[in-house]
Amino acid sequence: MALKEKLKKLFSPDSVAVIGASDSFDKLGYHVMKSLVKGQYKGKIYPVNPRAENLWGIKTYLSLRDIPGEVDLGIIVVPAPSVPETLHECSKKNVKGVVLITAGYKEIEDSKGEALEREIKEIAGRYEIPIIGPNTFGFVNLTDGVNASFTYEFSLIKKGGVTLISQSGGFCHLCGFLAMEERMGMAKLMSLGNRVNVDFPEALSYFGEEDEATKVIALYIEGLDEPRHLFETIRLVGQKKPIIAYKAGKSEKGDSASRFHTGSLAGNYQIWKGALRQSNILEVTSSEELIDTAKALDICAPLKGPRIAVLSGQAGPGMIAADALEDGDLRLARFTDKTQEKINGLLPPLAIRTNPVDMGPAWYSPETMLDILKMVLEDKETDGVIFIAMFASANLEVTRTMEGLMENIEPFEKPVIACFTAPSGIWDKEITRMDGKKGVAILHTPERAAKAMANLWKANLMMRQ
Amino acid sequence: MERLLLGLDALNLLEQEGFSVLKSLLAKDENEATTIASEIGFPVALKVSSPDVIHKTEIGGVKAPVNDEDEVRKAFRELVQNFASHNPGKRLDGIIVQCIGRGLELIAGVLKDHQFGPVLMFGLGGIFVEAIKDVSFRLLPIEAKDARGMIEELNAYRILTSPRWKGIDLGIVEDFLLRVSKLVEKHRGIQEMDLNPVFISQSGIEICDARIKIDFS
Repeated sequence: MALKEKLKKLFSPDSVAVIGASDSFDKLGYHVMKSLVKGQYKGKIYPVNPRAENLWGIKTYLSLRDIPGEVDLGIIVVPAPSVPETLHECSKKNVKGVVLITAGYKEIEDSKGEALEREIKEIAGRYEIPIIGPNTFGFVNLTDGVNASFTYEFSLIKKGGVTLISQSGGFCHLCGFLAMEERMGMAKLMSLGNRVNVDFPEALSYFGEEDEATKVIALYIEGLDEPRHLFETIRLVGQKKPIIAYKAGKSEKGDSASRFHTGSLAGNYQIWKGALRQSNILEVTSSEELIDTAKALDICAPLKGPRIAVLSGQAGPGMIAADALEDGDLRLARFTDKTQEKINGLLPPLAIRTNPVDMGPAWYSPETMLDILKMVLEDKETDGVIFIAMFASANLEVTRTMEGLMENIEPFEKPVIACFTAPSGIWDKEITRMDGKKGVAILHTPERAAKAMANLWKANLMMRQ
Repeated sequence: MERLLLGLDALNLLEQEGFSVLKSLLAKDENEATTIASEIGFPVALKVSSPDVIHKTEIGGVKAPVNDEDEVRKAFRELVQNFASHNPGKRLDGIIVQCIGRGLELIAGVLKDHQFGPVLMFGLGGIFVEAIKDVSFRLLPIEAKDARGMIEELNAYRILTSPRWKGIDLGIVEDFLLRVSKLVEKHRGIQEMDLNPVFISQSGIEICDARIKIDFS
């Protein structure tokens, strides 16, 4: 079986064995069982524990070989010294892939950890069995409802097209929970852990090539021994999906021993930055930017030109968005005369009607705001729209009307990033229902909307190369 | 075997490989220096040539501009005396007499990073590189779009496109970076290289000074 087929079985298994399953809260085996059971995994679950007959209401097996059916995925949570033996058993049972949650390998100070890791690497290589980890929280496949991690709550993330491949489990928790707050839809999230034989290149080619649900790939990178492998993989598989990356560890210095200018200036991060750009990977520099960018790339139509319309219920936030746009290689669209006349026909000359358009005078007529949005989307001089409304008692109906009229703004094939801000409880339901529908992404602030729009443009330029 | 090529040795290698370098000749004495300077045309620059000195400016080993024969003699004597008194035990091969560079100063460089392998650096020279480290990097070899990207992502990109330098053809800079990439592909032994400064003007791109660490084994 080829690696990609094994990875398919690993990430979308029909059956899962949990080696080290437990019903005791202070064991990770408990939390992994909880993720599978409460996460409503639809396949077969086989808990393995030599001291239990039934865990979580499920028949439990003394060992892997006692399991009657096939096992696609083995999740291992036994202590490090027992892992080699468990891997031998996995091979005998023809387990297709492993998530090795157990820690205590080369990440620890004790050199025994490194020796143990070499041993499992050797075993994995001999049996050609892909292993996520060790020292990982696991992975979550939201597309197929497989939570193979020790954190059940990841199952509550909205389904979508963003896949996160992370070098850190902690970052998956940060991003996963931010994704919930920001209503970002995800396909998969995984932590590579110590990367015994599934590293960025393997994960990236799998999600880039084989996984249809993945539309956007986000990488969190700390450091790699052989970074060129990653870039070569991207070149070989080609880039059909946008890839964004957040690189941590920026402080590592250049070669201070070098007496050459080049050597002393070449900080590790500076080279990473250049190499990412060279491979058409969009670099982001904060968690928020990662979420906003990935979400917009997943939801919105591609931004095919740099001309943006800013439509705002209030002048100030519109101006802020306009300023932020111009920092990011985008510019304000100049509407055609026809569009401008139509806008002038809808708005009295009480506010600025050229871009950015102050739709303040239309507060009591949300339909007018939506008409303007539709006109601007049809305008051939406009490539994308930022639509802003801050709550005021008088414009309460804006979001409800917009939700009702969403049908009118399609098909447009232009990105719309919206920004609705209101006290909690007022527009929440409408925002939640509208976000992600009809190509509209709803982000928090005008600045973040503008940044995400600028990144849509960068991504478009990169995908064209 | 690793060798460090400095000054004329480095410039000669680059010239053999098809790069334009500023006309430079070695003078052993004052008379030779004045003859060379007259041939090249004033003003000129005088620089110490020593296998033991990597950064000539730091030790006061450069005089420029030098405008006539008297100034050449004076500069020659000062460079030799200054070198002797401040660098005991170091070898002085002579004084380089060089055509003065015109235009905007650039820096290009190559290093072999222990993780990334051969890497190319590019930036504006002088204060931009010294004070604000405004440089860009790419993994070698590069393609045309990478050369363009290295130029565009500099903070100082606006300087390159400003009216003051309107005669500068950025296509020449791109081509130069691509040729540096090819040079490193051809000479796998190049471990580290500074082309600094490189002058770009309406009349083209010329390397003024270089240092190359090369492994001949």
